[in-house]
Amino acid sequence: MEAIGRKGMPTEVLLVEDSPGDVRLTQEAFRDANNAIHLHLACDGVEAMAFLRHEGANANAPRPDIILLDLNLPKMDGREVLAHIKEDDNLKTIPIVILTTSDAEADIVKSYQLQANCYLSKPVQLDAFETLVKSINDFWLKEVKLPQQRQNG
Amino acid sequence: MPIEVLLVEDSPGDVRLTREAFAEVNSSIHLHVASDGLEAMAFLRREGVHARAPRPGIILLDLNLPKMDGREVLAHIKDDAGLKTIPIVILTTSNAETDIAKSYQLQANCYLSKPVQLDAFESLVKSINDFWLTKVKLPQQRQGT
Amino acid sequence: MKTKTVLRHKLQRDNPESKDSGAKYRGLLEAAPDAMVVVNEGGEIVLLNVQAEKQFGYSRDELVGQKVKNIIPEGFAERLIADGTRTAAEALAQQIGTGIELIARRKDGTEFPIEIMLSPLESAEGILVTAAIRDISVRKAAEKHLAQMEGRYRGLLEAAPDAMVVVNPGGEIVLLNVQAEKQFGYSRDELVGQKVKNLIPEGFAERLISDGTRTAAEALAQQIGTGIELIGRRKDGTQFPIELMLSPLESAEGILVTAAIRDISVRKDAEKHLARMEGRYRGLLEAAPDAMVVVNPGGEIVLLNVQAEKQFGYSRDELVGQKVKNIIPEGFAERLVADALRSAEDALAQQIGTGIELTARRKNGSNFPIELMLSPLESAEGILVTAAIRDITTRKKAEANLLNKVEELNRSNEELGQFAYIASHDLQEPLRMVASYTQLLSRRYKGMLDADADEFIAFAVDGASRMQRLIQDLLAYSRVGTKGKDLLDTSGEEALQQALINLRGAIEEKGALVTHDPLPTVLADEVQLVQLFQNLVGNAIKYQRPGIPKVHISAARNGGNKWTFSVKDNGLGIDPQYFEKIFGMFQRLHKREEFAGTGIGLAICKKIVERHNSSISVESEPGQGSTFRFALAGSGKES
Repeated sequence: MEAIGRKGMPTEVLLVEDSPGDVRLTQEAFRDANNAIHLHLACDGVEAMAFLRHEGANANAPRPDIILLDLNLPKMDGREVLAHIKEDDNLKTIPIVILTTSDAEADIVKSYQLQANCYLSKPVQLDAFETLVKSINDFWLKEVKLPQQRQNG
Repeated sequence: MPIEVLLVEDSPGDVRLTREAFAEVNSSIHLHVASDGLEAMAFLRREGVHARAPRPGIILLDLNLPKMDGREVLAHIKDDAGLKTIPIVILTTSNAETDIAKSYQLQANCYLSKPVQLDAFESLVKSINDFWLTKVKLPQQRQGT
Repeated sequence: MKTKTVLRHKLQRDNPESKDSGAKYRGLLEAAPDAMVVVNEGGEIVLLNVQAEKQFGYSRDELVGQKVKNIIPEGFAERLIADGTRTAAEALAQQIGTGIELIARRKDGTEFPIEIMLSPLESAEGILVTAAIRDISVRKAAEKHLAQMEGRYRGLLEAAPDAMVVVNPGGEIVLLNVQAEKQFGYSRDELVGQKVKNLIPEGFAERLISDGTRTAAEALAQQIGTGIELIGRRKDGTQFPIELMLSPLESAEGILVTAAIRDISVRKDAEKHLARMEGRYRGLLEAAPDAMVVVNPGGEIVLLNVQAEKQFGYSRDELVGQKVKNIIPEGFAERLVADALRSAEDALAQQIGTGIELTARRKNGSNFPIELMLSPLESAEGILVTAAIRDITTRKKAEANLLNKVEELNRSNEELGQFAYIASHDLQEPLRMVASYTQLLSRRYKGMLDADADEFIAFAVDGASRMQRLIQDLLAYSRVGTKGKDLLDTSGEEALQQALINLRGAIEEKGALVTHDPLPTVLADEVQLVQLFQNLVGNAIKYQRPGIPKVHISAARNGGNKWTFSVKDNGLGIDPQYFEKIFGMFQRLHKREEFAGTGIGLAICKKIVERHNSSISVESEPGQGSTFRFALAGSGKES
């Protein structure tokens, strides 16, 4: 007998990425993965925080089930975003997957210190990138038990 | 270089299963086992018999442990500036919402529910290996506090 | 002067005795209280008295010798004139004794009514007429007044709603109104002058007779104001009950009696009816199984039955007249108290029909629980309250018992649910070991041990995995109760869609065609509704011959706010003898090799449906497919 799944609600993914090209690639890769995903975009740290805090135009924004976060962003960079989110009791339970071009040890360590859930380095090659996104999907959106999103704050 | 994995698990049966499953997919893992919370902390703090324990690159943590349970271990590790960068993967039988929510509040890196069936379990271990031990950038293990 | 002297002389001369009688006569004349005037055949006044002087305002000398016409212009002199038919003497004789009413005139010209009484007086000059003249102004005024009153009175009489009859001291009807005519069936003329006995044979006339002990006035005085019930008799001889109200009426004829006569046939009937009803009511009261107590507006017990005596431990006499508060200390009398806000009637109306639970007190002081049912009772004394009092001691005990049992049952159920959950949850762990390791054994050593070992291991593996599935199913079954949520508005459409998403693998694999009608919003636990659809549709797809499985889900309104859902398939169908069995736990109709499954699916469906206060049923024939039906309450709002 099959287990009863969670309500057939799509998974809300917030992608914080300033490169349109990467955004497009990520969208394609998730689409192929065949899940019910709502991919939301923020192209800088300020927008990301506004989205998370339901400010302004984001008053009705859904709470993301997971955040894919690039570190290098204009205005407010990913490290600050990471710090802000992990300081916010309401937001800190949302898993944050760092998805960034840097593979500098300093960035890696710093990210884990700020309690990023995991750190992924964007591959240069397209198929590797696709594979990576697929593995994010397979692991985080199929295997991992994500916290239920109750709408508060 | 082999990856040091700390498995905190009190059921020998599960330990063996995990070991077998990892062996199937990754031959360069050093799997260390602590069978309760105290032992886990001693290992991480290199106390007593664990004086020369390596620093794990990742911790697989069961929640239901004797003496000090997994929730406490999680809290202790994340309180410890020196230890908190080690990713902690909760690997437990419970799929209770309260356990899940609490774990993420305590900043567990991710939460996985142990499947009942063997093949599903093996598949899960495989995906842990694929993701965490192949793709994820783990913080380098520095030999020192 | 001269005339008087002449007269004197004449009298003296003619009759030596008349001198004395003349003086005597003059003396009488002077002394008479009335005005006296003596008139000769020529109509001239020859003699008068001082009263006449006063009455007419003349002095004696002014009147003697005057024509009597001057003081009585009309009606006197004429009457005395001899004419062809009679002599003056005869004319006079005709007047004698009768009081003639005429008009007199005073010196000052004013007129006034008089009554004259005539008598002859023989004299030497012939027959003189002595007239006693009485001023009847007052009497006339009184008569006018009386006539006026009578006129007014007659008007009132006619207008009176009741029959009115005026009776004189002789018991005769002197006056009546049109109502009296109607009531007795006579015409006015037929009644005036009749003895009232003819209308009211007994009881009226007698009451008014003056006897040795009292006068008619006193007799009447005793009747005044009281409504006397008697029998009246119509012209056609039929009788009917009446009520008399008497009042005196002063008149010229003496004290008359005005009788207002009211036909009380209806009232009498009603009274009889009421008495009958009361008799019947009393009968019912006594026969009633419950204690019955009738209470008046003052809160006093006026009536009770033998059950009430028994229930409260009093004798009837001890209770009649007592305040009902003494047997029902609180909650009864208060409820019936009329206050500024509502009358006792309204208060009662509000209580009617409701069973009120109160505490009653026996004579020995012990209390016991009762249920009151109230109803109003119209009576001559106003609205009474009939209270049926039921001793509900046993009922209360039973209720308390029941509550206890229910609590126990709930607790027991909860424990059982917990037990099932804990059992299956804790069983999982060792079971997982057995299942996993037997599989590992099988995997690693297959073909490396002998064939027996392989077979043994295979059985072990199979057993373990079946046990695992059973435990999972048992957990799912127990969760229906323990993890059930409140029933809320749930979209049937969305629930079905989610179930279909969960089943998409199976649907694709079998190439099944699933269709549905629009589904309503219902009161349900959403997760469980999804599970219900999933199990039923999953079964529909599973238990099929080769071919395209077709499943159709629909819902139909079912009286009021209920919906009956149907899941219809074209599958294998079910033999009717198994219709109940299939809903049992772990009941299967097929071998494991034919169809997988533990047999818990429909048991879970049944438990879910029962949790929604409903039931599930199946309609089927082997080879003809099956239709599963269950009902759910509609939502509060239209979907």
